[in-house]
Amino acid sequence: MFKHNTLRYAVLVLLAAGALFQALTAEYFGLEILTEILILAMLVLALDIVAGFGGMVSLCHGALMGVGAYAFALLAGQAGIAPVLAMAGAVAFSGGIAWVIGAICARSHGIYFIMATLAFGQMAYSFVFESPVLGGDDGISGIARLDLTQIGVDLNDSRSFALFCLALLAVVYGASVLILRSGLGRSLSGVMHNEQRMRALGLTVWRVKADVFGLSGMIAGLAGALAAQHSMFISPGLLSWTVSGEALVVVILGGLGTLVGPLVGAVAFVVLKHELSAITTYWHLIVGVILIAVVMSRANGIFGWIEARWGARIERRVADATRKQQPDGVASDA
Amino acid sequence: MSLDLGFWALQGLNALQLSMLLFLLSIGLTVIFGLMHFVNLAHGSLYALGAYFAATLAGFGGYWAGFFLAPVAVAGVGVLLYSGLIRRMRKSGPMAQVLVTFGLIFAMLDLTRLFWGDLALAIEVPEVLGGRVALLGIEYPTYRLFIIALGLAIFAALAFVLGRTQIGAMIRAGVDNDAMAACLGINVERLFFIVFCVGCALAGLAGAVAAPLLSVTPDMGLQILIPTLIVIVIGGLGSLKGAIAGSLIFGFVQTFGAVLAPQLASVLIYALLAAVLVVKPVGLFPAKG
Amino acid sequence: MKRAILAALGLATGLAVPASAEDIKVGLMLPYSGVYAALGNDIEAGFNLGLEHFGAETGATFEIIKEDTEVKPPVALGKAKKLILQDEVDVMAGIVSSGVLAAVRDMVHGAGVPLIVANAGNDEATGEQCSPFITRMSFSNGQVNRPMGKWMYDQGIRKVFTLAPDYAAGRQMIDAFAATFTAAGGEIVGQEFTPFQKTQDFGPYLAQAKASGAEAVFVFYAGGEAISFVKQYDSFGLKAELPLYGSGFLTSSLYVEAEGPAAEGVITALHYVPTLDNAANVAFSEAFKAKTGRVPSEYAVQGYDTARALIEATKTGAADRASLANALRAVSFEGPRGKLAIDPATNNVVQPIYVYETVAGEAGLTQKVLGALPAEADPVNGCEMPAITN
Repeated sequence: MFKHNTLRYAVLVLLAAGALFQALTAEYFGLEILTEILILAMLVLALDIVAGFGGMVSLCHGALMGVGAYAFALLAGQAGIAPVLAMAGAVAFSGGIAWVIGAICARSHGIYFIMATLAFGQMAYSFVFESPVLGGDDGISGIARLDLTQIGVDLNDSRSFALFCLALLAVVYGASVLILRSGLGRSLSGVMHNEQRMRALGLTVWRVKADVFGLSGMIAGLAGALAAQHSMFISPGLLSWTVSGEALVVVILGGLGTLVGPLVGAVAFVVLKHELSAITTYWHLIVGVILIAVVMSRANGIFGWIEARWGARIERRVADATRKQQPDGVASDA
Repeated sequence: MSLDLGFWALQGLNALQLSMLLFLLSIGLTVIFGLMHFVNLAHGSLYALGAYFAATLAGFGGYWAGFFLAPVAVAGVGVLLYSGLIRRMRKSGPMAQVLVTFGLIFAMLDLTRLFWGDLALAIEVPEVLGGRVALLGIEYPTYRLFIIALGLAIFAALAFVLGRTQIGAMIRAGVDNDAMAACLGINVERLFFIVFCVGCALAGLAGAVAAPLLSVTPDMGLQILIPTLIVIVIGGLGSLKGAIAGSLIFGFVQTFGAVLAPQLASVLIYALLAAVLVVKPVGLFPAKG
Repeated sequence: MKRAILAALGLATGLAVPASAEDIKVGLMLPYSGVYAALGNDIEAGFNLGLEHFGAETGATFEIIKEDTEVKPPVALGKAKKLILQDEVDVMAGIVSSGVLAAVRDMVHGAGVPLIVANAGNDEATGEQCSPFITRMSFSNGQVNRPMGKWMYDQGIRKVFTLAPDYAAGRQMIDAFAATFTAAGGEIVGQEFTPFQKTQDFGPYLAQAKASGAEAVFVFYAGGEAISFVKQYDSFGLKAELPLYGSGFLTSSLYVEAEGPAAEGVITALHYVPTLDNAANVAFSEAFKAKTGRVPSEYAVQGYDTARALIEATKTGAADRASLANALRAVSFEGPRGKLAIDPATNNVVQPIYVYETVAGEAGLTQKVLGALPAEADPVNGCEMPAITN
């Protein structure tokens, strides 16, 4: 089950403070990067829930995000539904799709699960790419942002939009923690550690997996609806498997199964990408090498490494403390 | 359209040709996985590397220099990868392996761009294999027949090695239960090394034979990766039978899908993959239950 | 008197032009990585050469800020926002893929920053989605292929099979050809769209073309797909019985060497052919070859003319976003492609289209120009061009 420790709280507070500071003070491009980080963070949270806590390594989360983005664009744009409702609709729709995918793939494990999700993701990609109604490879432009002028917020201002995304990310983070702590979340970690036993205990394993996958899909869909509003433009590239692959990289880079780690990973990845691509067009090479180095170091990503060091320090402190008590104990024993 | 027997024979050969190309790629990947439980996503990059090596070598010594030496060169890269990365990653989980090889894809893509540039390269088909052969009442490009023959020959050779020789028995034992195989005195570590290198060489060979048919571009490895993965997952991991069955299914579905249901051509194969995994979650012919 | 002072300050050359020496910030958005990196590099080489050749004609100086679009629309949009809002560029140029153009269109239009399109050919960009701030110096998908319908009919071809990748540009190219070909009296006996960048084997489609009873095949493919297609077409021996025609990108000088003898005899139409015999082109292609060691491609000339258009616009004295946009729309000059002008109704370039055959030359493959089809403005396609107000 998911627990916060002091370190996790500390990093969360630091991240939130940093994001808030950036949102309030940054210039235009800084806000742009911040929003990109916030949306990516939402996607990787969704992925960490299924991959880190359920062992379901998904290569279709990029596609689920894309489904959310397209659903929002269609509902708000073509169908003319109020953007708030369109957003809810997009979240529900991608959640539903994710639930079905989760249910179908529930029996597969390991590489087969990865491939099955990949297949569904690519199906969605091909479908969107070849649908003239959805704009084909040219995508859909002119997507409007949510209208919150009634409560005095103009989302067309990038600062407000960044703050809006930050607020939603906080809500999503809270929801993720609640999901993982709920009965469903406990069942999920049971399934990840020993599926046979959970089945023997009478648990409907596929239902648990599908439900969690569906909830995760809702988060990915929300990220998609935000991404569509952020760039006010969507294209099939959003659904490509490489987006899912990159999200997976971020989760691992940050620290799988820690929730906080992927947030750290999202910051690191986006900043690294922007810094490197400004210097060289061969930035993939550098990212690739860093990725290999991080994984080879055997730490559970950046955050996992910090946590391990932190844990070692605590242990040492505990050991020191016990050693201090030791002489008395030895004496009494003798 | 006048769709006579010749038309279908032609399409059958097209399907077979695509299948054999995919077979050369997927067999290495699937045996590496079956034996070492190692997911090598960079297999496609090795294929691209094979094509680039072949293109460069063909510039010096003609097509056959590329054909014979590119697989050796790619196997050499395989040796480096194995001793530098793969051996250390053997005990890590599949997630770590997927990511390391994902990183390799990134790195190798840019390395090929650095060495060979962004412009597409190409190789000419050698004189002997140029032109067309008349058979079954149709004319078919000799080079494509060559790919079919090569694929079948490799299949036969591998079937023989795996089924009839001692090293084949050792590999099968390793796939079945590597700990037990090691107890029986088989040097599993060396076996892994050999299989990995042969797998890389086959990927390089696939790149070398594909190069004259397609164009040699930096992203060709990424483009072929997904079809290859689909093949081995449909077929079931770790088995020769699975690789050949998966390749044939992919080749025929893709080719006849393009003819009979062109609107669905790109979705069809994914739908099939999903269907197979629903019915048989571990593919059609996995090496072990 | 005044002249003497300026000469003393080393600004005498600046006197020849009406504009005062202005520093103009140019955002150059091209793919330097991803599938179109080769195109991006060629356009940039042409662009730099254009600045070099014509830079002295204007008093303005240019500060170029390069950004890599990676051929990813969201990435490109982020970069466009950076250029416009942070770097505060006066004008933008580049853009290779139509998807990227569609992504940045609203941003550019809304912010009122002039954009010179140096490649992306989607018809809507100078049709339904046109903007007074977007001027295209390259081509539109329809423009390049439209004249071929009538031309092929005039060659006595009556039945054609068409093939193209299944995406917007592929469909627009084929539709434009099919419209004029059928209008002339020809018949499209079969049409296939192949999965874009996912088709390794064109064999199945070629067999269909062969069985269709067509007299010729008309295709659009570009990049790696063009190379695979031309080679596979030849390997099936189809060229003799079923001549191959197409959009000129098929046998672009950028890939024709990789296609090799398979490309011989293929007849295509394009807005630029490296062997065009005019003074401007000879000067351009000699200089380009000296610089890069390559024959210039249509992409290179688009970059070259983009730089030229920018310079022409600044020669009118335009220096800020609105005046540059207005000046760009009125640009016209005689370049390597012949006489170019911007159609004020759509902001698309009006240019002649050349039909050429790829033939074996002394040093590898070369292009033989078969005819120049007169320049025609694109149909307005629903473009309602608002005037620019400051």
